[in-house]
Amino acid sequence: MNAELVVSVIGNGFLVLGAVIIASAAIGIIKLPDLYTRTSAIGTAAGLGVALIIVGVVTLDFSVLNFIKGIIAIIAQVLTSAVGSFALARSGYLTGSRPVATTVPDELADSADHDAIDAQRALRDIEGDSPTHET
Amino acid sequence: MISTVIAVIVLALLAVSVVLAVVRIVQGPTAADSAVAGDLIFFAFIGVVAVFGLLFSIEAVIDIILVAAILGFLSILSLARLLQGGQR
Repeated sequence: MNAELVVSVIGNGFLVLGAVIIASAAIGIIKLPDLYTRTSAIGTAAGLGVALIIVGVVTLDFSVLNFIKGIIAIIAQVLTSAVGSFALARSGYLTGSRPVATTVPDELADSADHDAIDAQRALRDIEGDSPTHET
Repeated sequence: MISTVIAVIVLALLAVSVVLAVVRIVQGPTAADSAVAGDLIFFAFIGVVAVFGLLFSIEAVIDIILVAAILGFLSILSLARLLQGGQR
């Protein structure tokens, strides 16, 4: 009985910790100034938050098979979260999302033509084929 | 077994996260910001699925989470490819 109580408290604590980390990522997506800082917040915090939620689920619903599935899910979640965030930030850069002004080393600068992208976007606004967001 | 108070707390935190991400989708300056916020909504939805599966004691909850953790990656890559108009 006492051991069951301890296991339940540990599992619920992991669940709450994962939810708190996801909520902190959501606060970051509102407060941070730039696409790249937002991508960093999502890639780290949401990956870790989902990993902690998986740990909580495995603790509350334990068996050997669930333990193996949980390990596989945590590994896949952490790896793919990082790779997906990287791909999204890179494509955002190449489609003309400007970094904040304090970004000093800019090694992708020859790949993105910000002035041409802005001109194209202004032309599209004039022609009435308006994109989903105003610049 | 998950306690009901903990389930309510976790669902409230995840709901606040989804609302903030929807705010970023509505007022995001570029399409890439909206894609990042949609990614966060997907992660929060995994948490919601986990909490409901534990509440109703569904056996296959860890299988659902495993499939979501493996395949959610493909949606993010598709969005990144879509932003550039299909070129790498």
